Amino acid sequence: GRRHTAVQQMARRSICSSARRQVENKVPQKQKMFQEDNGMPIHLKGGSSDALLYRATMVLTVLGVGFTLYELVKASFPQKKD
Amino acid sequence: MAHQAHAYHMVDPSPWPLTGAVAALLMTSGLAIWMHFHNMTLMSLGLILLLLTMYQWWRDIIREGTFQGHHTPPVQKGLRYGMILFITSEVFFFLGFFWAFYHSSLAPTPELGGCWPPIGITTLNPFEVPLLNTAVLLASGVTVTWAHHSIMEGQRKQAIQSLTLTILLGFYFTALQAMEYYEAPFTIADGVYGSTFFVATGFHGLHVIIGSTFLAVCLLRQAQYHFTSDHHFGFEAAAWYWHFVDVVWLFLYISIYWWGS
Repeated sequence: GRRHTAVQQMARRSICSSARRQVENKVPQKQKMFQEDNGMPIHLKGGSSDALLYRATMVLTVLGVGFTLYELVKASFPQKKD
Repeated sequence: MAHQAHAYHMVDPSPWPLTGAVAALLMTSGLAIWMHFHNMTLMSLGLILLLLTMYQWWRDIIREGTFQGHHTPPVQKGLRYGMILFITSEVFFFLGFFWAFYHSSLAPTPELGGCWPPIGITTLNPFEVPLLNTAVLLASGVTVTWAHHSIMEGQRKQAIQSLTLTILLGFYFTALQAMEYYEAPFTIADGVYGSTFFVATGFHGLHVIIGSTFLAVCLLRQAQYHFTSDHHFGFEAAAWYWHFVDVVWLFLYISIYWWGS
């Protein structure tokens, strides 16, 4: 009946809107951003999220080296048997 | 801004070789600590650091090539040589495992019963799931070639469709192989048959996962308009790698699954 047609119309509307959602070509914007003469190295040139990820990676790197040396020195000595 | 008088790429200083080296240190030491003291922390930390390094290093290469235009023809030539040399090194890696398989299977010892397959081993039927797996990978070789031609002809939607199909076929192979591993009547501990089977097919499976991931990254890049009809080397590298994975499977199928059964 009429309700069935209304549901059909709504279904058609939502299918249409998802098909129309295209991925936008952001390459020209990115090209402009990464070619800006601001002296930033490539691994930081994308903005503050680059710096955050870099810092997190470096923290893990330094802590990792320390942790490795600690575990290797610990393993080099006789272990206490239970 | 100073301009270079040559077509080569002088890269910015980067922290990723250092973090990658530390990741290798953590993974190897972590492996030893795990084996001796049953603690996975160090190894897991190494794995996380490896993933972070790979993500940021390859992100930076995409920025340098696609957004900064540094991948001129001579630079691209170097990248091609690099990928070819890397795949060649992987060929040698697999050659070793094939050597091990043929060493044990061409002259089976008395301990195995003097025969191959050894006494007590129930092999997988090569004409069941292994044959399906062969068809799946061969089909994925066709779809990845379709994707390449679509990119070269500027057919955006077809490129996305065929690349997606290729990745789905890769996932299908992995799922089928995982099921085979679970259902197999023998394990890695079942003598030299088990060792050669699972090490060779296991490393192959890992390469299928790596290849599928590489293709998935290419799919994301294709969707974001990174590739042009005459410059898409990242995709070509992924396709070369995928064909290599396919060829290794064909050798595995013929040698281990078929001749070895």
